[in-house]
Amino acid sequence: MDPCSNCHSRLETPLVCHSCHHLVPLDREPNPYAAFGLPLAFGVDKEQLRKKQLQLTRLMHPDFFGGENAALRKLAERNTAELNRAYELLKDDAARAEWLVRELGGPTQEAVRDMPPEFLMEVMEWSETLEQARGHDARSPNRMRLAPLRAELTERRRVLLAKIASNLDPLPPIGDPRLVQLRRDLNAVRYLDRALTELAELLLFCTPR
Amino acid sequence: MAFLELDVLNNAPKPVIGIDLGTTNSLAALWVDGRPTVVRPDGMGAIVPSAFYFEKDGQVLVGHEARRRAMMDPGRALFSVKRFMGRGLKDVADDLESVPFEAREGEGGVVRFLVDGKELAPEQLSSFILRRVVEQASLVLGVRPDRAVITVPAYFDDTQRQATRDAARLAGLEVLRILNEPTAASLAYGLDRRKQGKVAVYDLGGGTFDVSILDIEDGVFRVLSTSGDTHLGGDDLDRALVQVALAELAPRLGDSASEPALLQALRLSAERCKIELSRAPQAEMHLVAPELNLDWRRTFQRSELESAIAPLLERTLDACQRALADASLAVADIDEVVLVGGSTRVPAVRELVERFFGRTAHAELDPDEVVALGAAVQAHILAGGTREFLLLDVTPLSLGLETMGGAVAKVIHRNSPVPSQATEGFTTYADNQTGLVLNIVQGERELAADCRSLGRFELKGIPPMPAGMARIAVRFQLDADGILNVTAKEETSGVAASITVQPMHALGDEEVERMLADSYANAQADFDNRRIADLKVEMGTMLRATKAHLDGVRADLDRESLLDLEEACAAAQATIATERPTAAETQKVRDTLERATLPLAALLMDRVAKEALSGKRVSDL
Repeated sequence: MDPCSNCHSRLETPLVCHSCHHLVPLDREPNPYAAFGLPLAFGVDKEQLRKKQLQLTRLMHPDFFGGENAALRKLAERNTAELNRAYELLKDDAARAEWLVRELGGPTQEAVRDMPPEFLMEVMEWSETLEQARGHDARSPNRMRLAPLRAELTERRRVLLAKIASNLDPLPPIGDPRLVQLRRDLNAVRYLDRALTELAELLLFCTPR
Repeated sequence: MAFLELDVLNNAPKPVIGIDLGTTNSLAALWVDGRPTVVRPDGMGAIVPSAFYFEKDGQVLVGHEARRRAMMDPGRALFSVKRFMGRGLKDVADDLESVPFEAREGEGGVVRFLVDGKELAPEQLSSFILRRVVEQASLVLGVRPDRAVITVPAYFDDTQRQATRDAARLAGLEVLRILNEPTAASLAYGLDRRKQGKVAVYDLGGGTFDVSILDIEDGVFRVLSTSGDTHLGGDDLDRALVQVALAELAPRLGDSASEPALLQALRLSAERCKIELSRAPQAEMHLVAPELNLDWRRTFQRSELESAIAPLLERTLDACQRALADASLAVADIDEVVLVGGSTRVPAVRELVERFFGRTAHAELDPDEVVALGAAVQAHILAGGTREFLLLDVTPLSLGLETMGGAVAKVIHRNSPVPSQATEGFTTYADNQTGLVLNIVQGERELAADCRSLGRFELKGIPPMPAGMARIAVRFQLDADGILNVTAKEETSGVAASITVQPMHALGDEEVERMLADSYANAQADFDNRRIADLKVEMGTMLRATKAHLDGVRADLDRESLLDLEEACAAAQATIATERPTAAETQKVRDTLERATLPLAALLMDRVAKEALSGKRVSDL
């Protein structure tokens, strides 16, 4: 990273200079790790991340540039947007793993379609349970099956993410063949997430929908 | 005007005001002496009812007077215009039932009301309210503020936010920020108490419902999640009562039961009854319709209202559940609950919220004023007044693109912090495809058809290449106001198509310009009202200056001048408090006041000149 063009200090993030608070114009989307001055690694301390986000936001939030010229206001808006984007990505384990697999040259989501048949069978079973619960009220036996299903899927997601985490620590080299299995596991997380989102929706309300 | 110039020596920048543009009521607040203060001109209330009455001569009455006239003549009145902002006809069918004017969808899909042959868009009507609110602020400030923070329901979508921005533009205001109402309220509360922790804001207003969950820490107000319903508020509670009344009245009304003017009268009566029921266990609903030979009275018990509105209130709890789930919090994690919006005065609402959250809710600040107060705090921050507080808000609804087959690819998820940006990659699906139509949608549903389309645009000029080879980057930029900007670029060729999203149900830029030109050039009434407003401001300034300086020189002023001055001040005060003085009358009162201040001005000038400014001309002051 080039030093700050204003005060020549070393930049900790491509977004803003810690010494002179100069907002750095960007020519492309910054790497989310770089945005937070973090080394490339799967493990991230969430509490530290949150504090860092607040600290950086205080340096560049557009609210603090209300009286400045339009170009500077726009820069504050842009850099804060990049910071927010990076924060959303880094704080979420699955999103972070997804980004790392892509960054390491792993296959895309569409490229890995060979999910194990027994897994796909299970996916169909969940969908059926969800389908049967729709339109029933909270006391129907169909709805009663949702809470245990949610507990089961939540646990499976946790186990799967733990596996992904251990395969990303230390980070595999670029183009490593293990990235294919990582992608397959991440795709399974997507399946789980889709079912869990729908489950949450159905379990949230007392009224049938 | 030597006297005025004496008082306006400092060249301070004009203040930024905070405006709550509500469904039922609107008001402004300002940062004064280290805290937000509601704008209350002498002898006038702070609130401007968001109501209109159309005189036969083309004059549009706004505020209290419009409300008063509506009681007598509901067939020429209009309310709750906010519910039509950024909406198409089919979105607002319920609300149109009690609108006594024909409505149609005009250019850009915006609802227009046809009043005596003249078309009026909700944005224009809202701009009339904003103008009135600004006039009131001018009376207090002595100058006309031209920059504002305007609040909107947190659950307002992109189109509704843009409509609000257009309304401000039509009112001659620069909007520094579109601020979410519950967030504003939390700021007003957090300011005094310096609390830390998780706060739930339950905001049930005249037309909309929001719930926001915030985390407050060291002056940073971070919104964790927000949910709501832009079509659920006091108006709907009134309507529930109207339904009960209609069921009983129907046989006597016959065909008139669908008469908009009658429904409007009934709604106004239901509203009064509902308000009364917040104070008393029973209240009377009264409807007089001489043309139908009807003089109907009916006593309602509070419990009747409660059972009529129970299903509506149940819906607000669904939104609370969702907000909690999105914040990954349970009810027990919430440290404070805050009630905002006039409808939280209904005891059943308060009980419901307290039962749901299991704790007493805060309502120390006037629920009608707290949003404007918060807007004034944000205005102060944006004007560079403090770095002590910072609001970090989120977008209420997911933003995405329609993909092949009608599904939605979400690009920015709901409850993402704003400002935000995201880039999504797309490609062509046919060989030598040179164009791509992108449909931008907002909402949570899986199919694009079930979400709200914010607009479509076409990326043209993609160089011919085999299917799947083009690399099209679509970039979403969501600004701090929650308003979206989309750009697209084909990356292998570098063909950048700059595009403008023209939202559905929004006025075009050109149209806003035309309306602005119209409003300046058109009506003598407009001109007169502006003149009256300016004169009132001038008188306000003179009155304040007189008050500030008179005591110091009272002894030196001759008795006759003093009496003249006091009389002129009283007359000016009375004129300012009058809602519709004529321009000529106002001019006369102002001129008299100016003449009466001359002896005082002369005395002051004399003193100032002697003390410091010898040799300088008055115009140099």
